[in-house]
Amino acid sequence: MMNLLAIVGTNSDQSTNRKLLQFIQKHFAEKANIELYEIKDIPAFNKPVDKTAPAEVQDLSDKIREADGVIISSPEYNHSVPAILKSTLEWLSYTTQPLIDKPVMLTGASYGRLGSSRAQAHLRQILDAPELKARIMPSSEFLVGFSLQAYDEDGKLSDPKKIEELEGIFNEFIHFVDITNQLVSANPSQQKTQSFSWEKNE
Amino acid sequence: MKIVGIVGSNAAFSYNRLLLKFIAKKFGNLIDVEVLDIDKVPMFNQSNDQTNSEAIQHLNKKIVAADGVIIATPEYNHSIPSALQSALEWLSFKIHPLDGKPVMIVGASYDVQGSSRSQLHLRQILDAPGVNAVVMPGNEFLLGEVHKAFDEEENLKDANTVQFLEGCIKKFIRFINVVRIVDAPDGMKDVSSTEDLYATGKIDTTIEGIDMEAEDWVEQAAVATGAVEGDAYVKLDRGILTVNQLNYFLNSMPAELTYADSNNQFLYYNRMYEAEDMLASRTPAQVGNPLAQCHPENAFSSVAWVIQQLRSGKEDTVRAHVPTHGPDKFVVHSYQAIRDDEGNYLGINEYVQDIKPIIDWYLKQTGQQLTGGDVDAVSGATEKVDTVSGATAQG
Repeated sequence: MMNLLAIVGTNSDQSTNRKLLQFIQKHFAEKANIELYEIKDIPAFNKPVDKTAPAEVQDLSDKIREADGVIISSPEYNHSVPAILKSTLEWLSYTTQPLIDKPVMLTGASYGRLGSSRAQAHLRQILDAPELKARIMPSSEFLVGFSLQAYDEDGKLSDPKKIEELEGIFNEFIHFVDITNQLVSANPSQQKTQSFSWEKNE
Repeated sequence: MKIVGIVGSNAAFSYNRLLLKFIAKKFGNLIDVEVLDIDKVPMFNQSNDQTNSEAIQHLNKKIVAADGVIIATPEYNHSIPSALQSALEWLSFKIHPLDGKPVMIVGASYDVQGSSRSQLHLRQILDAPGVNAVVMPGNEFLLGEVHKAFDEEENLKDANTVQFLEGCIKKFIRFINVVRIVDAPDGMKDVSSTEDLYATGKIDTTIEGIDMEAEDWVEQAAVATGAVEGDAYVKLDRGILTVNQLNYFLNSMPAELTYADSNNQFLYYNRMYEAEDMLASRTPAQVGNPLAQCHPENAFSSVAWVIQQLRSGKEDTVRAHVPTHGPDKFVVHSYQAIRDDEGNYLGINEYVQDIKPIIDWYLKQTGQQLTGGDVDAVSGATEKVDTVSGATAQG
């Protein structure tokens, strides 16, 4: 069975994105092993002189490398993704670069109507940067609006249409992971690991 | 014009910091720039509110007191650095100092892009309701291949680049004034033409034949009018004082007083302190000038608007808090109409005071406290802010 890593894109104690990933983990338990990952203890990014990842970042990086694919669920702060998620991605791009060629699916939940739409658009552009170079599943978008009201007591999405939509996207992702991993094993990106720097990028 | 320049990176060395320092140095004649760092700002976490930490409050106070903000951002992963993102999240969570604040974006990067993508992200972020800054459109300043851009004295080498940057800065100054008009009570239009700020007219008391802008206007005008001074007695409405007594009396007033007549000529101020020690600086040589010579052109509309309120009788007093002296003082400029017995407008008495000691004294005497502003009791107590659309409640 496929192994997926599901990253909670916030450091908040209360998060409807965590809830969403918990639901995905449970709902698709027969299709994939999904491990939830918290980034709240990852330190704020600050360019390390020796380009070495702190232990927390190395741990995340190892998990990403081991996984067949990654799901990131992000809230929306100020039309964008939270600083803590951005910081995590900066660490990864600056040190170990485990997301290069990794299949990624994006989801998001927000308290308001828009369901993190702008955050997802930013996150796509960020993950597309050459030093991250994730393989983001195209033409897919899963947005949970009014997320405080979206779940029942068991943490299940209460709208059956929403579940159906998610099932469609998730099934597609399973195939996307397979196809992408075939594609990249045939034609892998040159890893820039340990040599990348925004400073030397002439 | 007071501008805060925010370095968008927490890196120990940053070309964006260099760029802001260059702006501060090169355009010091146009704007007064203070460069601020964000490296002490903690990572944003809505479950651990650190709004009252020193690093965030320092930024908050500086931004609140500034006329405008310039943000210089590098580009990390096609976006702005998380350090800047985090700072902006704090500044849109429980406090909103950028609300309505004119902001200009600049950026430098090592590659040819010059932070092009991160500037677009930053625009969208600053446009979010919780931040609600007023970002200057157009005038994109992208500095690519920045490691080749500065000389040893940390000046930008390319003259065309400097010229373009100067154009952007000048537009930003205009933009700040446009934003001011938008926010002014009468908004919408430039009303500077409603007042003869160059004092080209004449009233009964105008002292003619002397250059209003002469540094020794007071001395020349005294000779021309045979004005009394020193121990000469002057009969007032209900009292008699010598000119010296009158001077000492006015200088003992708990406010900086300025008299401008109805022809918009600056006639007098109570000179207690040197210009640099005053709450609103005046110099002896300015006396006699038309009001147009005492204000920057971009303030003409506001000046004219205030005079119109008083001249028309719509208001007897117009007050403005001018946050020039940080959180320890609360400087209020009051523009009081001077009228004769029939109510005719004679001019303005502008009195400038720091009212904080009076408020503190009142609170102490009555045992009362200010409530509602745990962040900044003085300047933050008034506004109830909408946190729903900021960083607070978005999943």
